[in-house]
Amino acid sequence: MTNMGKAVSELLDDMALKILMVEPGDLSVVGDLLDLGEQLVTSAEAAKVPVLGRMGNAFRAALEKIIMAELPDSAENYELLGRCIAQMQEALRKGGVADEATLTAFADSLGRIGYAVGVADLAAVSPAAQPSPSVAPPPPVASAAPSPPPAQTPVPDFLQDKDLLSGFIDEAFEHLESIEINVLELEQNPGDQEIINNIFRPFHTIKGVSGFLNLKTINKLAHATENLLDDVRNGKRPMDSDVIDIVLNVGDCLKDMVQNIKEVLERGPECYQETDIATYLTRIRQLQEGTVGPVEEATLPVSEPSASVAAEAPAPFKAPVAPAKPAARAEVVATVEPVEEEETGPRGGADKGGQRKKLGSSIKVDVEKLDALVNAVGELVIMQSLVRQNPLVARLADPKLAKDFSQLSRITSDLQRTAMAMRMVPIRQTFDKMIRLVRDLSKKTGKKVDLIMEGAETEIDRNMVDSIYDPLVHMMRNSVDHGIQTPEERSKFGKPATGTVHLRAYQKGGNMVIEIEDDGEGLNTQKIKQKAMSRGLIQAGESLSDHELNNLIFMPGFSTADKITDVSGRGVGMDVVKKAVEKLRGKVEVHSQPGKGCLFVIRLPLTLAIIDGIIVRVGSERYIIPTIAIQESMRPEAKNYNTVHNRGETLLVRGELIPIIRLYEVFGVESTTYTDPREAIVVVVENEGRKRALMVDELLGKEEVVIKNLGGMQDVSGVAGGTILGDGRVGLILDLAGVIASSAE
Amino acid sequence: MEAAAEVRLGMGEEGAGGLAGKYLTFSLGNEDYGLGILKVREIIGVMEITAVPHTPNYIKGVINLRGRVIPVLDLRLKFAMPPEEYDERTCIIVVEVQGRNGAVQVGMVVDSVSEVLNISADEIEPPPSLGASRDTSNILGMAKVKGEVKILLDIEQVVGEGVLNRFDEQ
Repeated sequence: MTNMGKAVSELLDDMALKILMVEPGDLSVVGDLLDLGEQLVTSAEAAKVPVLGRMGNAFRAALEKIIMAELPDSAENYELLGRCIAQMQEALRKGGVADEATLTAFADSLGRIGYAVGVADLAAVSPAAQPSPSVAPPPPVASAAPSPPPAQTPVPDFLQDKDLLSGFIDEAFEHLESIEINVLELEQNPGDQEIINNIFRPFHTIKGVSGFLNLKTINKLAHATENLLDDVRNGKRPMDSDVIDIVLNVGDCLKDMVQNIKEVLERGPECYQETDIATYLTRIRQLQEGTVGPVEEATLPVSEPSASVAAEAPAPFKAPVAPAKPAARAEVVATVEPVEEEETGPRGGADKGGQRKKLGSSIKVDVEKLDALVNAVGELVIMQSLVRQNPLVARLADPKLAKDFSQLSRITSDLQRTAMAMRMVPIRQTFDKMIRLVRDLSKKTGKKVDLIMEGAETEIDRNMVDSIYDPLVHMMRNSVDHGIQTPEERSKFGKPATGTVHLRAYQKGGNMVIEIEDDGEGLNTQKIKQKAMSRGLIQAGESLSDHELNNLIFMPGFSTADKITDVSGRGVGMDVVKKAVEKLRGKVEVHSQPGKGCLFVIRLPLTLAIIDGIIVRVGSERYIIPTIAIQESMRPEAKNYNTVHNRGETLLVRGELIPIIRLYEVFGVESTTYTDPREAIVVVVENEGRKRALMVDELLGKEEVVIKNLGGMQDVSGVAGGTILGDGRVGLILDLAGVIASSAE
Repeated sequence: MEAAAEVRLGMGEEGAGGLAGKYLTFSLGNEDYGLGILKVREIIGVMEITAVPHTPNYIKGVINLRGRVIPVLDLRLKFAMPPEEYDERTCIIVVEVQGRNGAVQVGMVVDSVSEVLNISADEIEPPPSLGASRDTSNILGMAKVKGEVKILLDIEQVVGEGVLNRFDEQ
């Protein structure tokens, strides 16, 4: 049950994160959400929480209706869906027995979307009625888009050289990203010829390669845009906001098309979708001929790309590629200044030149090759210590040999460090995506926001890059939406009309720190306190510092937003951020100054591949406890040892009663040395605010170990992974949350 | 899992003919088994196995296979046969099967490895039905070679239900 329950709650967390990312018209994220919803239904049934299964089913059915355009694809509806997710989380927290109130609220939210579902249906045990109670819209896979026009799209005549194609995909994504960055930069420095060239070049490359690979649609669109940019370059027309908007929109459209090609490559030609680019082409032509007046142009790029349809797309809801981002207002509200830490001279051309030089001196390596290298180096280190510890070799008292050995170990540890460093990438990529986010957000909310980025060159394990993106987006949205006030409000408080959000990254100790700081209104500590009390998170008499109170916003189901906007505040709170960060073995906290702003601090380990741990022995087994969780270790004194009902054991440590967990019992180790905690060693650990004293036989030492997964075995309760110890044997790394959970059973 | 299902489907269409090929044979107690040679990565002697808690008894734990951590399952225990002390003839056959996220390697402890046999289609019979109490879903077929019966294992299925699915299907 626990494993199953955990899976369900993780799915719900994922859904909560996803719903934040949904924007009306952007159906690909909705598609992901639908997938998650389906998984939720299956998992909930497997985990024997039928209520959640039924709630999930209703949720899924409502979502399908939105996808099929039977219900409006609007921001309000997604907010309501967000609440539904929060209510499902609530139901799960209550152990899968949703009470009347939660169900009513859930049914009400769905009802307001336009999907009627009875409370009784959700509560009742009627497995027969399971497959969506109302007029079930046919599952999207089967329905196969009875969509009108181009029925026989010339599918994949580009699939001949898959290697070239996959190379193109990676490259195209990079180019498109650089286009976006440069375009946004151009907004700051209009007329900078160098930047225009930087935008022109990637389009040219994409055009060339796509033509070569027979990707006709991409080729045509890139070609048209290139022509437009060529006019700009030759001074035939200015680089104004019209051009910028269309270039951004084309960039989005190309990205979607390339993404589709990637899917085709991964899943087969039936995924292929033909995108209709006529709108863009017309628009570009109009711009080139100068036939559009300034008034109507603003509306044109926004207009829905006319029915882009797939021939027999298995997922029709993903078909409308390239939802043109609403770029209603021409005037630019967001300004972005990437600040380099090391940079002292004037910003602008010189700075950019420096960056480019850096990029030029790198090569691309397949990730698998890199992992293989890291593995091989790891083996080398272990083999070296095995040879060294060989009794025969150890007996040789040869100074030359000793010297050579120390030289060898220096080389291998250098090698290991370099190999590890190769997995690190600058966080710039993730940060750069925030520029666009803030630009769009500030347009949408009508607030003026400056985004100042520092330390984008700070390196992070590439495996973490993807996982940190979602929480970061959530927090940025939070800062712009709730933190920064409207210009009018700001001037009332005597602040400059333009708000500032700082996004910083730096290394400190063994950690990577990311900070998001806004100069908005700060947290309302009193409101948090009331909310926490009404939710029973704190008691009336409890005295908590403001800092402690503020950090309650990371508790599950906590959201203080007065009004729900379509940016954030969809009923899912900061707890998803916390969980996502903790999954990366990091920590997040908030500092707030009322009226002055908030500072969110995320601390992450530099790499996911290595963990700093204490090796402990329990009988014949050795386990690794992550050092970050350890508070202290001791041989307990008899007077501090207490039992409750002769069973539950606790230890008094610095005035605090801490439950004892006998590791050998939890893990079923029979060969344990001690069975009396008063003779053994205890290690006091903390996980999610809970302290436990783990009883072990012996502390063997502290080591940085390379984390490896356990082959095909995942989610072994209490075990986070394995590692290879100095003697070549496998040691298991403890997952404290799992250990605590299984000791409670 | 899906891959395994497809393979089995494919077999159904071609009949036992699709099963002909080279098999690595090994013994468990008095029984002889065979498994498709293409799935076998290597055969190693028994080494120290680190037990993994909260797993079924037939999962012996994990080993370090040249820097890689792979699970090891004891086929005797998996098939509910009485356990046997490991000796110098005991081997771990490392097979590669399709997991959800690509290929995974899994070790299988067997009493001893015999030889590689070329088994032709006419030597193979479909799995016997032994009543509801004996599940034969992980048997591809029975081969009669030189008067001896070899049980041909569907290793994707054995490993799938034994190791991977337990943790994949949430």
